[in-house]
Amino acid sequence: MNPRLLASLTALLAAGTVAYAAFDFSNLSKAIDSTKKATTKALDTAKDAGKIVKGVTGIGPEEERNIGDSVAIEIISRYGGLVRDEEVMRRVNLVGRSLARYSDRPELDWRFGVLDSASVNAFSAPDGYVFITRGLYEQAESDDALAGILAHEVAHITGKHALNIVARNDAFGALSKQVSQRSGDARELDYQLRQVNLSTDLIMKTLFEKGFDPLTEYAADQTGHNLAETCGYAPGGLRAVLVHLKEKGENRRTTFSTHPALAERIKRLPDE
Amino acid sequence: MKTPTPLAVLLTALLSVSALYAYEAGGSAYTKRAETNLLTEPKPLAASAAKLPFGRVVKIEEVNGNWLQVSDGKATGWVFAGNLSATKPDEGKGMDALPMLASQTTATAAARPLAPAAIEYASQKNLSSAQADLEWLLTECHAVTPEEVDAFMQENKRGEYK
Repeated sequence: MNPRLLASLTALLAAGTVAYAAFDFSNLSKAIDSTKKATTKALDTAKDAGKIVKGVTGIGPEEERNIGDSVAIEIISRYGGLVRDEEVMRRVNLVGRSLARYSDRPELDWRFGVLDSASVNAFSAPDGYVFITRGLYEQAESDDALAGILAHEVAHITGKHALNIVARNDAFGALSKQVSQRSGDARELDYQLRQVNLSTDLIMKTLFEKGFDPLTEYAADQTGHNLAETCGYAPGGLRAVLVHLKEKGENRRTTFSTHPALAERIKRLPDE
Repeated sequence: MKTPTPLAVLLTALLSVSALYAYEAGGSAYTKRAETNLLTEPKPLAASAAKLPFGRVVKIEEVNGNWLQVSDGKATGWVFAGNLSATKPDEGKGMDALPMLASQTTATAAARPLAPAAIEYASQKNLSSAQADLEWLLTECHAVTPEEVDAFMQENKRGEYK
């Protein structure tokens, strides 16, 4: 292993560990108080078992599929529809599925598509959907560059970053409990639809308004870098695209508008 | 299910990055595919020695580049490092109590249809055009077979074909 890379990773890990430790200890008493308050509140509202169920069961495959399909429809709708070009489709899916094969969720039904928008961005939806805009696709002339972009989005899905936002939401937990107690196709569909409306709204706010937390984005950059390398693509593919975009003049409104600034992402990614 | 904070997500990513380089003889790893093929030699087209199910912990006996000779106590064989996970994979049993593995929904001749809840969602939001696009995407993606992906990887020397 490259000693520079090893040193960088060690430093990153050490920094992360120190940050984590600092977080743990400096806030310990606050955390205990907070836990007490949270426990009391939870007991007070225990009759609403739905608020508890989310903490122990998570989001299952059928729910992920419902949410993923709905979020994918929203992404397509907001970004000009899909580029219906079979050659383009074939390229993104061959490169994308090569990556997905070595991801942490190789058995997902992975699907990659190009959005008919001149803006520069990429999105993912639960259940294996990855979208890249035409504006970004045109910057990815080499498969190394394309792989770098797609691998970042694959990392969001394998890390369940969007689903975690939904799973942390109290209202979703309550609804999920109700769904699990229902019987009858029509009633179940009605509850599923309410679940889908709520979770799609939460995810859309993140994808199109707030963006993921910067730490989550940097984590996806790292995991994607790693995945591209495992698959035999140049690990610096994403970084090269980001550098190219920055050199062209970063426009925060049209270039990765929901991601951290290009300079910060470039700084955190290894050169190779 | 615990939902990780962004800091935990970053730490996990950093650990997984370091773990990629940390495979060494005497260590352990997990299978992450529905079925992981152990091979008789560290070559992608070598004969199969055994098949392991999802989530099986294996001991790393030997490291040869990106290939690992592993054993689960009964079977021994070679596997490309990218086919294993340094951390235990999530079994992913959720509220609908179904296993996470999409492979258990076995390949079929047709692309899977959109979820009924998503179709209803599109109808209520007047997103029929986007729904049609997504249905086209599902069909196109389904047309790219696993065999074609494998051939592409062989031709371009990707992953275990490096």
